[in-house]
Amino acid sequence: MIRRWFGPVLLAALLGAAAWQATLWVTPDALMRLALDRVSNVGGPNSFTHTPLATAASRTIVRPSPDLAYSSCPFDLSKGPLLIDAVPVLAPYWSLSIFDTHTNVALVRNGIKAAHKPFRIAVLASGQSAPAGYEPVRVEGTRGIALIRILIDDRARFPAIDEERRATTCRSVG
Amino acid sequence: MTGGESGTMKPWARYLIGAVAGILLGTGGAIWSVRAGALGSSDTIGPWTTGRDFGTAQASAHTRAVVALRGLLALPATEARYYTAAVDDAGRPLEGRCTYAINGGGLPGRWWSLTLYDRAGYLVANQPGIYSVGSAGLPSSEQAHWTIVASPDRQTGHWLPTGGIDRFELTLRAYLPDDGGKGNFTQAQLPSIVREDCK
Repeated sequence: MIRRWFGPVLLAALLGAAAWQATLWVTPDALMRLALDRVSNVGGPNSFTHTPLATAASRTIVRPSPDLAYSSCPFDLSKGPLLIDAVPVLAPYWSLSIFDTHTNVALVRNGIKAAHKPFRIAVLASGQSAPAGYEPVRVEGTRGIALIRILIDDRARFPAIDEERRATTCRSVG
Repeated sequence: MTGGESGTMKPWARYLIGAVAGILLGTGGAIWSVRAGALGSSDTIGPWTTGRDFGTAQASAHTRAVVALRGLLALPATEARYYTAAVDDAGRPLEGRCTYAINGGGLPGRWWSLTLYDRAGYLVANQPGIYSVGSAGLPSSEQAHWTIVASPDRQTGHWLPTGGIDRFELTLRAYLPDDGGKGNFTQAQLPSIVREDCK
């Protein structure tokens, strides 16, 4: 009896380990693509969407920080690089981060590192090159998201910061 | 099934059962593990859990999956540290019907905030619209020692409404950590979470 089931149990263990690993590998990409589709549905790809401060009704991403104003630019590099003209807002915390579809961070630059001065980034897929005047940032694959976080320490200041943050733009040059 | 039937089962049928059971157990186990994992489940410090490799190429497949489910687009440790608690100091799950005193002091970062979420990772609806308390909102006299009360009932002082939900979680964010994210905060630096009473 035991000898008859030795092979099937071994097969179950091998396939179980493979299924475990495959599920873990697939999950981040699947959830990231879902989030990218959700964000793209709001404002379209390759342009910034400036969302209001998060509330209990916010469902676009999990664990939104209610203290941060988010601006997101979901990008698709299949037709060409993405150019970001970033203008840091004078706030206790400001940052631009760029994520690829595997959830890796390709770049994080906060206002302090940028000396609170404007800067230009070209997000590139394999084989693409940056135009003059743009700092190249390479990502894996062709999809991802550029995300700006701004700390709102006083909600009364939000309308003014909401205006200021719109100076940062992203566009495809495909 | 009787022992006789098992004995006459064709070998291919036994292998088919083994293959199906293995795939189901492996897939189901991975999903359970990711859903049960707190954000950054690599280090546990008192009631808090954290990790240092969010968003990096070094992150394990399990960390990536948990972060994708529970904290997609989290920043790397050099920029921000995330500590999550789903239990109190005594190891009991955080319940929305209970009142908790959260006591802390100055944290080694430029700015921090404490936010209350439901188990799915969304903010909890409450009438005054309070979702977090942060260092920017504390007077200078409280920066070195502060108390935040998480409770379903309105509190004087710094109140985080639980909304009376079944279970909740707390996320402590510390931006621009003093050590560049190289080490974890110590248990003495992290806030304590003490249950006071329950409805």
